[in-house]
Amino acid sequence: MAPKAEAAQTLASQSDASQSSIDPLFHILKIFPYSIIRPPRLRLKLPSFTLPSPMTVFALVLLTYFMVVSGFVYDVIVEPPGIGSTQDPATGSVRPVVFLPGRVNGQYIIEGLSSGFMFVLGGMGFVLLDLALDKNRAKSVKVSYASAGISSIVIAYIMSMLFIRIKIPGYLR
Amino acid sequence: MVGKTESQNGAVKATAAPAMNLESDLFSNFSFKSFKLKTKQQELLLRVSILGLVYILAFITRLFSVLRYESMIHEFDPYFNYRTTLFLTEKGFYEFWNWFDSESWYPLGRIIGGTLYPGLMVTAAFIYWTLRFLRFAVHIREVCVLTAPFFASNTTVVAYFFGKEIWDSGAGLVAAAFIAICPGYISRSVAGSYDNEGVAIFALLLTFYLFVKAVNTGSLAWALASAFGYFYMVSAWGGYVFIINLIPLYVLVLLITGRYSMRLYVAYNCMYVLGMLLAMQIRFVGFQHVQSGEHMAAMGVFFLMQVFYFLDWVKYMLSDTKLFQAFLRITVTSAIAVGALALGVGTASGYISPWTGRFYSLLDPTYAKDNIPIIASVSEHQPTAWSSFMFDFHILLFLFPAGLYFCFKKLSDATIFIVMYGLTSMYFAGVMVRLILVATPAVCLISAIAVSATIKNLTSLLRTKSKTAVAGSSKGTGGSKASSKASFDQSQPFQKNGAIALLLGAFYLLSKYATHCTWVTSEAYSSPSIVLAARGAHGNRVIFDDYREAYFWLRQNTPPDAKVMSWWDYGYQITAMGNRTVIVDNNTWNNTHIATVGRAMSSYEDEAYEIMRSLDVDYVLVVFGGVTGYSSDDINKFLWMVRIGGGVFPVIKEPDYLVNGDYRVDKGAAPKMLNCL
Repeated sequence: MAPKAEAAQTLASQSDASQSSIDPLFHILKIFPYSIIRPPRLRLKLPSFTLPSPMTVFALVLLTYFMVVSGFVYDVIVEPPGIGSTQDPATGSVRPVVFLPGRVNGQYIIEGLSSGFMFVLGGMGFVLLDLALDKNRAKSVKVSYASAGISSIVIAYIMSMLFIRIKIPGYLR
Repeated sequence: MVGKTESQNGAVKATAAPAMNLESDLFSNFSFKSFKLKTKQQELLLRVSILGLVYILAFITRLFSVLRYESMIHEFDPYFNYRTTLFLTEKGFYEFWNWFDSESWYPLGRIIGGTLYPGLMVTAAFIYWTLRFLRFAVHIREVCVLTAPFFASNTTVVAYFFGKEIWDSGAGLVAAAFIAICPGYISRSVAGSYDNEGVAIFALLLTFYLFVKAVNTGSLAWALASAFGYFYMVSAWGGYVFIINLIPLYVLVLLITGRYSMRLYVAYNCMYVLGMLLAMQIRFVGFQHVQSGEHMAAMGVFFLMQVFYFLDWVKYMLSDTKLFQAFLRITVTSAIAVGALALGVGTASGYISPWTGRFYSLLDPTYAKDNIPIIASVSEHQPTAWSSFMFDFHILLFLFPAGLYFCFKKLSDATIFIVMYGLTSMYFAGVMVRLILVATPAVCLISAIAVSATIKNLTSLLRTKSKTAVAGSSKGTGGSKASSKASFDQSQPFQKNGAIALLLGAFYLLSKYATHCTWVTSEAYSSPSIVLAARGAHGNRVIFDDYREAYFWLRQNTPPDAKVMSWWDYGYQITAMGNRTVIVDNNTWNNTHIATVGRAMSSYEDEAYEIMRSLDVDYVLVVFGGVTGYSSDDINKFLWMVRIGGGVFPVIKEPDYLVNGDYRVDKGAAPKMLNCL
């Protein structure tokens, strides 16, 4: 007895909704399969789509920037080795070579990734510096942010200069 | 500022006292009145003088090769542009527009009027006619050589206004300074590099600036101006496809983030409709805006905007929200369904052509390597390694993520645009080295935002500390105020010194950037590829002009109707300087013809003779660099001739020319290699 009463109730509420809906597809579906077949009672909800916050998007963007600037596309297409090797002429032992010598537009995978990391580190240094100058924080936090930021920028710049000097021997001469 | 002028007046008055009364009065009045500019005027003077210096700097830094060698056109493509500009100035616009050239692509000829982008030639010719009108007797070659630096200077001005629109005038000034010397831009706009990109980057930045201004103000005038900017870009370079895809993508992002407004509606509609109609005036583009798959995104977003406007209007008319929700769902679903159906019908019936190989290989970088060897063989189309980025951008690579952070912190319509431009152009720059040029304005602008915001933070640190010191001492002292003043006093000198040290550090970084840019410009990007320099046996510099001597020999010692066969790299130069008919040139529009030449170059001599007889060839031009160690000669390019020839004629097989997979050119080379043409 109880299920029949519930079925009658849901049928009544459904007919109410159908009379107020202006969706033509709904009306067609109501007539064609679903006057014969009884639709099951489900408890499904359509997933709602909320936009992510700007800083989340910024984190994703930073990751993509790291991949592009490390020469990821170059790695996929040209498929260089992870690290190069050269044979020492005197002893005959094989030594690893980190930086591809000879041309500007060529790299091994590891050198690309480490340079990309340096660039992102430098960028983050500036971001930390800006966070440090924000007024609404405790003083110790501000000082630590500022020192982390400054040291990141200095390290990133010095390392990048070192890398480019190794890669291009005639740099700035 | 007020304190400074007062102390200055005090000093002036003190020094003027010992002098004679009349003269001292005059002197003090003179200095008093002429130096006491208001702050606004001082700021304006500073801005204008900085912009003027940046303008001159952008022009001067591109003149290295003119000073070292002479004023001549560099590289390969610019020679074609120079030849067509010469034709335009001699014969007039109608002859130019309807020109059929029988001197290139020997048996086929080339419809030049319909297969080029006339913007560059018309611009140079216009400048030439203006100067002639003002009775300056310049040669067209000088105008062509200096067109690119002139437009680079104009780009810095546009960058200033763009920076002012996005962030503030400080960022605009820094952006102008960055763009003036950035090596990524200099590489394609040095004096002598008379190529489409020199003018196109100016048109690109102008179009983007006018569009962002139109979106910000919602005014019809700015939208129409951006349509005309787009027309200039379409007439200048094939890269206009980037604009017509970036702007719809930007509009889509604005719609998704809920920033639809009447201003956006006006700006996009006007720009799209008028821009499309104007773009169809260029014969090379033709009806591509309604027929090509690459332009369909713009059309789709156009119709989506109309749907949004319609929904907005219905929402305004209806008062029932539930009904409106249902109506919204139905309309959006049906609009998307109709759009997808139309696209499907158009593509299936062949009316809408698919993406061309050049642009498709940007989305799928592995496509060109497997399918189209001509595109894969150009060295500029290789993907980018980290060192190319570092070479062309230097510290801008650090400032770019910082600038993105500031943009995300203060989201507005304009900052969303510059972020999208920066990200898409950086991705494309990663796929192809040549496109670092397109990414340069975006990187410069975003880095300028970072620099401007950081320096503003640091200087406000300096100024608030001194201000609170003044305010604290002039006002009365309460208990809490005294303690806060004490704590301020403690941290004041430390923070002030810290800020000054950081400002000096920033100044050091920027000066290193300037040094790097000048070094790169001088060493790497100022060589005209047609004149080569090398170190002799004793370390002295030897300059050899072999290319031009060879073309001049052709011009003087061969009959005027001789046909010259060479690899396609040299085609433009032979027609421009040697004035002889060539078989294939850099336009590379006919792959089969190039493959025929490749087949002739790589077959045995008797087969090659047959092919050359069928093409009426009289002379063959081959470049050999073995004597001087010149590395980009035809022997090095030979494998590409084999690959391209083999792509169309399977008779030519690449393994025939290799020894155990190695390419050798000495005695131990493969027999086919030793006996081919």
